[in-house]
Amino acid sequence: MEAKTLLRMSAPLREDFDISYHDIGPQDRPPRVALVGGVHGEALNGVFVLSRLAGFLRDLAAGRRPGLELAERVLVIPAVNVLGLNVHSRAWPFDKIEINRMFPGYEAGETTQRVAAAVLKLTRSAYYRIDIHNSNADLEEMPQVRLYAPNDDERASACLFGLPAVVERPMNTIFTTSLAHAWRACGGENFVLQAGRAGELQPRHCEELFRALVAFFDRTGVVSGVQLADDEEDLHYYGLRQSFALLSDHAGFFVCRLEVGRWIHAGDLVGHIYDGFSGEIRAEVRSPVSGLVGSVRRHPLACEGDLLARIFTLDESGNDVEAMLHDQGQ
Amino acid sequence: MEKRVETLLSLELPYRERMRLVRSLYRGSGEGPRVAVVSGIHGDELEGLYLCHRIAAWLEALERSHPGALRGQVELYPGMNPLGLDTLNRLVPSYGIDLNRAFPGHPQGLLPQRIAATAMAALEGAALVVDVHASNIYIREIPQVRVNHVFAERLLPLAERMNVDVIWLHGAVTVLEATIAHSLNARGIPALVVEMGVGMRLTPAYTEQLLVGLVNVWRELGVLAPELELPPVTHAPLLAHEDNVHYLNAATSGVFVPEVAHWEAVCEGERLGCIVTPFEGQTLAEVCSPVDGILFTLREYPLVYEGSLMARVVAKAREA
Repeated sequence: MEAKTLLRMSAPLREDFDISYHDIGPQDRPPRVALVGGVHGEALNGVFVLSRLAGFLRDLAAGRRPGLELAERVLVIPAVNVLGLNVHSRAWPFDKIEINRMFPGYEAGETTQRVAAAVLKLTRSAYYRIDIHNSNADLEEMPQVRLYAPNDDERASACLFGLPAVVERPMNTIFTTSLAHAWRACGGENFVLQAGRAGELQPRHCEELFRALVAFFDRTGVVSGVQLADDEEDLHYYGLRQSFALLSDHAGFFVCRLEVGRWIHAGDLVGHIYDGFSGEIRAEVRSPVSGLVGSVRRHPLACEGDLLARIFTLDESGNDVEAMLHDQGQ
Repeated sequence: MEKRVETLLSLELPYRERMRLVRSLYRGSGEGPRVAVVSGIHGDELEGLYLCHRIAAWLEALERSHPGALRGQVELYPGMNPLGLDTLNRLVPSYGIDLNRAFPGHPQGLLPQRIAATAMAALEGAALVVDVHASNIYIREIPQVRVNHVFAERLLPLAERMNVDVIWLHGAVTVLEATIAHSLNARGIPALVVEMGVGMRLTPAYTEQLLVGLVNVWRELGVLAPELELPPVTHAPLLAHEDNVHYLNAATSGVFVPEVAHWEAVCEGERLGCIVTPFEGQTLAEVCSPVDGILFTLREYPLVYEGSLMARVVAKAREA
């Protein structure tokens, strides 16, 4: 399979390494879609899905899928943080810098600024740009579309993925250095997809992500001939006041009794917090609101004040904590 | 002089331990203002911890030699990120959060945000806060004060008397709005950021240099008695800004070997070091100064990737 090189870098002791990408479809057109994964080296769901998607698109381009056609040019960077992926590091491993805090980057700057600048330079010419993330090592996120200070076109197009949750957030100071924010200066339409937990490969989430991307391609005319199963859940948009962040009142071992993507009622059990020494239950955690379970804590060790779950609500019964977490880049 | 060590925040950890945010407080007999020194926001930066010890020792000696000379209140917050410091982690362990991107924080937030909110509340009303950093483990810095130009008018007169070698006036960077210094300055509490030395190490000479600057500024603010004799300020800072600071980034990856000393005058084209490979005898790249000036940043950690910062030179002012 032909791989193009986004950036080739030397290393102090290892051999030179590439950040590679796929450039698939009609080469005489500007790219219609750019997909980016693995900005964090632990975002495995996105890397895996994008690698599978690139294979699928190449099959279409080569005519190996009768009845399906790739009508537009698509760029796919499965993994930006190549070194981080190979050594299980969220940040750029050498100097521990978070690449998604280095945009728009600088071609003559620090290593991670150069990486950021190269990603932005390649992807800016596409009309649709999609950045795929897992959460962090503590939380599992249901597959969702994230919009940051979106325009009306982005709001309208976000539903084309067919994912049940579109989560809209204002911009904050932390995110101004992210890829998604840097894209805003380039026009077009920009989306962040979130799915799963960092450091894990979760097949159910991957399948949902893959299907969402293919649905988006079909509905935007990038591919044609796809037969989508008609079993999508109802889609809802969730603003900042439609998200309830449930924080822990106690430290201990948190055992979650919920799955992401399920609807719950106010009063339903979320989980238990155990004393890690005595084994006693310190708290029974129940949801104060009804809604869709957007994220749950998967790391069992919780401090007082840690996020245990995030519930998306149909009405504005979210809490101020969500706004506080957002301000802090959480 | 009243002295006490107090816990500002105590949070339960998952397994039978607590995280405590602690400060030392020295209260004088007069009505002078409160000042504070903050350090250890990054768990791999230790220069400020030693400075806090030296300040405490100086104040305790002052009480013996000049009782009543402390007119205000000095507060020391040596370990803002106690878990990071205790585990040699720059960030807040288990959260992966840079504490200096979590301000002003929130009293009901995650642990880093609670630390930030606690510190902000405790520092309310201070006449001056100095936040001491030690660069990181890669780069050694000459003692310098960094000032955001948004607050320059108020902060530059204070910075000029801090006995540092450089004042770096930098532009507004949105992400830096989440730092403790920006958050304090935005609330009208003057806060200076000092960078000196290198991560994971102490540079006692820099500590003594800054201590002289601090006590002189504190005397001017009325924290110390006006008649108290102090060691004189001996360092007049250069003013660095975006037009006269030159960055030297590595042209290739390898082992950077410096050939000049830190804080040395350099000439345009002068060789400052080289990048070599351990596999062969050749030099991969020469590192030369782009201007006449002074080397105020020098790489301490030898391995470099393409783009790694090796040095910064502040250009010599051109003669008219």
